[in-house]
Amino acid sequence: MTTITHATIVMERTYNAAPARVFHAWEDRKARERWQAPDETIQIRYEDADFRQGGRDVARCIEADGAEFLATVYYLEIRRDQRIVFTEAVAQRNANVSAALISVELSSVKTGTLQRVTMQIASFDESGMEKGYEHGWGMALDNLAKEFEQ
Amino acid sequence: MRRSTTHATFVIERAYPHAPAKVFAAFADLQSKTKWFGGPEEWQKASEHTLDFRVGGKESLSGGPSDGPVHTYNATYWDIVENERIVSAYEMHLDKTRISVSLATMEFKPNGSGTTFVLTEQGVFLDGYDDTGERERGTRELLNQLEVYLDQ
Repeated sequence: MTTITHATIVMERTYNAAPARVFHAWEDRKARERWQAPDETIQIRYEDADFRQGGRDVARCIEADGAEFLATVYYLEIRRDQRIVFTEAVAQRNANVSAALISVELSSVKTGTLQRVTMQIASFDESGMEKGYEHGWGMALDNLAKEFEQ
Repeated sequence: MRRSTTHATFVIERAYPHAPAKVFAAFADLQSKTKWFGGPEEWQKASEHTLDFRVGGKESLSGGPSDGPVHTYNATYWDIVENERIVSAYEMHLDKTRISVSLATMEFKPNGSGTTFVLTEQGVFLDGYDDTGERERGTRELLNQLEVYLDQ
């Protein structure tokens, strides 16, 4: 019998950059390949990247031990410099391990940008993906700060 | 304009005295789903109900009261396990305005000769439109219509 675990995770970060620059780091496929990889043992490769409302991304996430995850994203709503809402499914060995709805909200603050990411996750068959999101995205959003250090 | 979002989750559980395969079929087959999935009877159709029930497939339906906005439902199926699980992402528009996006999971669990059905909706309501109370009421109404259809 299949099972589903539901979770909601909210992550807030303040970046030392204007909303337009933070937005661009989501828009740019090369930037995403850099900062979305949680650490150097994991590679993210976009096979398809179509950052526009209704567009689709397909990304391969390759771990050091060879384990591979395939993420398919549909962008549902994009408001430049303000908001990105997308849904994604993650598959491993041709079976989905999770589906999620993710919203990214950017607001201008004195020191730069306050970014709030809300992840609503349905994790299938005890895959533990809700913990994977917490861990992986936590590191990725920290990495994103490095994009603004140059 | 000032952008805002409200995130919310609700869960509805129903027990149906019908086998999982029968309840599942009411979602999987367009001819069946059209009989129960839609707005109130007095609403007018703005487009035909379409359903491509496979992973990556889409569904759409739109209609509304004669003097009110057109409600449009567009879904994409993320995951289907026959007779056990359906997962879709869907968005709702009122006329041209997108008011929400949601992740809906449906579980069909055998319970004696019947089915325990669990629907979980994780949603984002945009810019102050709608509210989860209204969405949950509307979803409960749909499931009432499903029950009537199944009992026929």
